[in-house]
Amino acid sequence: MSAAIEAEDLVFSYGDLRAVDGVSFEVSPGEVLGFLGPNGAGKSTTIKILTGQLEPDSGHVRVLGHDMATERDLAQGRMGVCFEEKNLYQAMSARENLSFFAKLFGLTEVDIDGLLSRVGLRDRAGDRVSSYSKGMRQRLMMARALLNRPDVLFLDEPTDGLDPVSSKAIRAAIEAEAGRGVAVLLTTHDMHEADQLSDRLAFINDGKILVVDTPENLKLAHGQRSVRVRSRKGNEVEETVISLDESAGERLHSIVSSDILTIHTEEATLEDIFVKFAGRGLEE
Amino acid sequence: MSERWRVVSAIIGKDLVAFTRDRFFLVMTGLGIVFYIGFFWLLPGSVDETIQLGVSGPMQSLALGDVSDSDGIAVVAYPSRSELVAAVETGTEVTAGLAFPDSFFDDVAAGRRASVEVIVGSGVPREIEQALTGMVGEVAFALVGSPLPVEQLDARQIVLGNDRAGDQIPLRERMKPLLAVLVLLVETLALSSLVAEEIRAKTVQAVLITPARLTDFLISKAILGTLLAFTQAVLIMAAIRALSPRPALLLTAALLGAVLVTGVGLIAGSSGGDFMQVLVLGMAFLIPLMIPTIAVLFPGTAAAWVQAIPSYPLTTTIVDVSSFDAGWADVAGRLGVLVGWCVVLLTIGIMALRRKVMTL
Repeated sequence: MSAAIEAEDLVFSYGDLRAVDGVSFEVSPGEVLGFLGPNGAGKSTTIKILTGQLEPDSGHVRVLGHDMATERDLAQGRMGVCFEEKNLYQAMSARENLSFFAKLFGLTEVDIDGLLSRVGLRDRAGDRVSSYSKGMRQRLMMARALLNRPDVLFLDEPTDGLDPVSSKAIRAAIEAEAGRGVAVLLTTHDMHEADQLSDRLAFINDGKILVVDTPENLKLAHGQRSVRVRSRKGNEVEETVISLDESAGERLHSIVSSDILTIHTEEATLEDIFVKFAGRGLEE
Repeated sequence: MSERWRVVSAIIGKDLVAFTRDRFFLVMTGLGIVFYIGFFWLLPGSVDETIQLGVSGPMQSLALGDVSDSDGIAVVAYPSRSELVAAVETGTEVTAGLAFPDSFFDDVAAGRRASVEVIVGSGVPREIEQALTGMVGEVAFALVGSPLPVEQLDARQIVLGNDRAGDQIPLRERMKPLLAVLVLLVETLALSSLVAEEIRAKTVQAVLITPARLTDFLISKAILGTLLAFTQAVLIMAAIRALSPRPALLLTAALLGAVLVTGVGLIAGSSGGDFMQVLVLGMAFLIPLMIPTIAVLFPGTAAAWVQAIPSYPLTTTIVDVSSFDAGWADVAGRLGVLVGWCVVLLTIGIMALRRKVMTL
């Protein structure tokens, strides 16, 4: 199966600042690729290049087989984009916002109310967006990205700073879209979201992709295979780290007899692995 | 419908909705139209060129019959000098007066020097004062039957252009171009605000990742601005009967004016600033553009540099057509200059907006 998104050696600079520096990757249909990196790492600029908002200084982008340099119109008609900024028309209702974009896409038969129901905004469809909460606006952004039933979704920090209800609704929508074969590129600096939603993860820092792999492989390759056991001996609490090697069974067995309080795996977090590659954390 | 026009009309439709949802501009537009129309009809629709002249002393019995029949002078008799002075001072009945002494007839008949007071209010032009002084001499000569020391000259007056003597343009008529251009200029602020908001909120980015192109976006804004300004200008012009005598020519001028202010609106809106920033920037353009409209209220006051202001050919075209019945041939040159300004300002506006959008 050919890739839905192909980025090849992308380079883009804002003046002297190289924001994207030789980025290459592919996303297959039905796959969610998470772009994990701190603010200013180059995630949003990469999305702008992939969606045709920016032209790269060098490199090539193909979306759904269309070269973005020459066939941008064809690609854009089949993509959905959820921007980091809540760029909605505040003076218009959710329904009016979606109707307007449906006209731009040339869609004559689109179930706007159905789409709004899907993101939990059906009851407020006629209200002006200016009266919406941050979470509601983000859900409307998601609905707008899905309006043209896209084959490729670009989602830039879609759950950033949202309440759990809104985050859950958006994550459910992402999983559903991937389930119907949509290629999803998701940028985030939330490692839990990246871990939960992504089939593969790309760590990006200073405009460069540091590594691309599945979350599981990253954790296995770069984490410690050990468990941390807290147990009570008399009046004292002891903490023991047991490496999961050949002797792990024997050592675990030796402390089972004591009063075990907690046992935690010492699997590396994505944050740990990112720090290992980038030399800095995701929130820095 | 072509795809391009479908996209452009969708953006224009959306902007019209946004315009009607903006309370400030909606109220300003509504109030503005009502105010302009009301103000226009409250102004005097004619110019009273008659001088109300008070007279006291023996001349009042003659009622200055010959003089009062002459054009533009109405004589009101007062029994005494003091009452005449009081009347001129009040200014409601008469604006000037001639106080003849009781011995006027005798003095004139005897060839003695007579003293006549010309009483004028402080607001009476110097020319009127001089004319009244001259009139006293004429009256004296008429009374004693003395001929003038020279034969009356057979002078012919040649007025270049339209002679409006006895047919002066009322203030209301002079306000027509001012109001028409004013409504065009004020509409600039509405367009600027819509464009700036689109940039500030980055909604334009969402538009441009659909099949809509940047060109569609720019064209739609240019059409919207022209549509808003032209519609309101025509509305005002119709309400104040400023679409005659040559409606096609006046509508053409209004349309070009709408294009002109759209260019200015795009330039101001490209800043992408908040409401106050757009207002300040918009006013920086609007104030110079208003100068020619004010200058036409006071003929002869426009300095040469005023002619270099883009709104000058628009204003003078409307004035000449509506007040002096100028035709296509008379204003063709100015319309050409106006078209040139439209091209320049619209091009600058579109380029500024394009650059701003591309650097978002």
